[in-house]
Amino acid sequence: MMKKGEIVLSAVCLAFFSFMFYEALELRGVGRFGEVGSGFWPLLSLGVTTILSLIWLITNLRQYSREKGNAAGEPPAPEAIVEAWRRRRKIALCSVCLLAYIILTPWIGFILSTILFILSFVLALEEKRKWVLIISPLLITAVIIVVFAKFITIPLPRGAGVFAEFSRFFY
Amino acid sequence: MFELYWNAFATVLLPQNILAICLGGLWGLLAGALPGISTSMGIVLLLSFTYSLSPITAFCLLCAAYCGGITGGSITSILFGIPGEPSAIPTTIEGYALAKQGRAAYALWLFIICSIGGGIFSVFVMMAATPVMANFALRFGPPEFFALVVLGLSVVSGLSGGSVVKGFLACFFGLFLATVGTDGITGGERFTFGTTILLGGINFVTAMVGLLAVSEILAEAEEPFQEYKSSVRYKGLRDELPKLRDYTKHWFLLIRSAVLGTIVGSLPGGGATIASFLAYGDASRSTKHPETIGHGSEEGLMAAETANNAATGGSMTILLALGLPGGNATAMLIAAFMIHGMQPGPMLYASRPDIIYGIFVAMLMSNVFLLGLTIMSINLFLQLNRVPYTAFSAAIMILCVIGAFGLNNSMDDLYIMFAFGIIGYVMRKYKIPIAPAVLGLVLGDLAELSLRRSLLLSLGDPMILISRPISLILLLGALVSVLWPLFKKPKMLEGSENA
Repeated sequence: MMKKGEIVLSAVCLAFFSFMFYEALELRGVGRFGEVGSGFWPLLSLGVTTILSLIWLITNLRQYSREKGNAAGEPPAPEAIVEAWRRRRKIALCSVCLLAYIILTPWIGFILSTILFILSFVLALEEKRKWVLIISPLLITAVIIVVFAKFITIPLPRGAGVFAEFSRFFY
Repeated sequence: MFELYWNAFATVLLPQNILAICLGGLWGLLAGALPGISTSMGIVLLLSFTYSLSPITAFCLLCAAYCGGITGGSITSILFGIPGEPSAIPTTIEGYALAKQGRAAYALWLFIICSIGGGIFSVFVMMAATPVMANFALRFGPPEFFALVVLGLSVVSGLSGGSVVKGFLACFFGLFLATVGTDGITGGERFTFGTTILLGGINFVTAMVGLLAVSEILAEAEEPFQEYKSSVRYKGLRDELPKLRDYTKHWFLLIRSAVLGTIVGSLPGGGATIASFLAYGDASRSTKHPETIGHGSEEGLMAAETANNAATGGSMTILLALGLPGGNATAMLIAAFMIHGMQPGPMLYASRPDIIYGIFVAMLMSNVFLLGLTIMSINLFLQLNRVPYTAFSAAIMILCVIGAFGLNNSMDDLYIMFAFGIIGYVMRKYKIPIAPAVLGLVLGDLAELSLRRSLLLSLGDPMILISRPISLILLLGALVSVLWPLFKKPKMLEGSENA
């Protein structure tokens, strides 16, 4: 069964690649005498992606209308809707956790942000076992600090102000 | 040459390199065994550990992880009926059937010896073929390199998983991504939109961490973790020791499978999965006991295992000799070369033979050590049902963050990684293959520069691309590679519409 999301995605791809193709038109003529210039390769790749996105969108729309005509009209079961919503929420929460981790790390330092990230990430994955919730943030952070900050000496962010002072206790 | 081998053995057998092989092999076995982690993801996650290592130690770690990943996928196949890697599906069919008959130890022995045997065979082929191919490729000029890259990209139809439109869309998307940043010839900015974050281009490693690893964790998070529950009787490998005759009676099948695996692995877009299925098909046709196929056939299991490990040496041959990645795992090895300031291909063979021969020996030692590592780690894999997958996923996500950050010590790279993680997740969700995008991103820069240099040489005449024999042959090969699947399976395009 054709997903409506696929139609939206193919339309987004078409819009994005068309916009980038339009941007690439400005690169025409930039280059030395006798060579194809800066714009040739982007125009070629974006031209093809635009055409392929258009083909994808058209075939999706055709298939959707064909399936709509043949559909028995059975609505999805309520359990399936709830399950689909639960999955989407899980992915959204995991993504938000990761983005928040990336944003917070330069401010509060790697140690605190990692502990918070692991805790929130495992909660987003619907972990309920208390020992996992308590031990894993501390244990994983400790191992990561020992291996990467102490052993491999990657300059992990320390944070700002009081957080930097806190981080300096450890690395 | 003997001096090069002597030095390579002396270097690889240093304690730190042996340790790297053991750790890489164990990590590879684990990554291959867990369905949520692919071999390429296992290599991606190891990249951050290699930043401060010497190139040889780094390649010892990564080569062992590569070989281990292909091997590890079969352990859970036999014990739990869950293939850790797609290449282990034939093993799941035959190995798990044998295990259910109470012969798990026997199936494990067949798998271990055949895997390692296939791997070692392909390493010897790699040692013989790489210098010949690299010396030949040293004659290549920009037109030949352009044609070679086009040949490498032409395998997209094979990597598309039945959806040619989506496969080519992903490939050209990768080619477009490779153009972002400063133009290598004119020095002008392209698609940076006035920001400094994209001025240096989209970092290949950062993008790969997002596309391959972050997206995989997000996709796995959606599904409940596969429970490892074994219904087979397994007391230990001593339960049923195989006899030498169990292998020698199938010597011709084993050699055939090893040769097939090495050849398929050396084809761009080939790889362990295609190799194992082809060898399994060959064993099914040639067996004297066709009734056993699907019900615990020794021949099917041995052929598939020999071929999938033999594919590693084949893939490494074209990577080292020509700089072409056959798939995601070898594309990640290109990233490792770049981290250490090298570009695999004929020029590297000429300028740094110590690295190339070091990799030969590292591959050989990885296979030798994997024999012991696999035997030792089987009991460890029986405990997989105790792994708290949620915490494991969080740890992997942190490794991704460190991997992307540690490259330039820049927080900007983390935003790029995040963006590619989301893009990769959407691609997985809508069955847009990621491998062609990886291929496009890896080869895009070389393709563009080779084409533009060719046209500079010919003062803008495109006939230079087909007037040179090697270039012409390679381009014809690319054309056949693109068109063959379309004629062979005319419904593939329809498949793309339905996917």
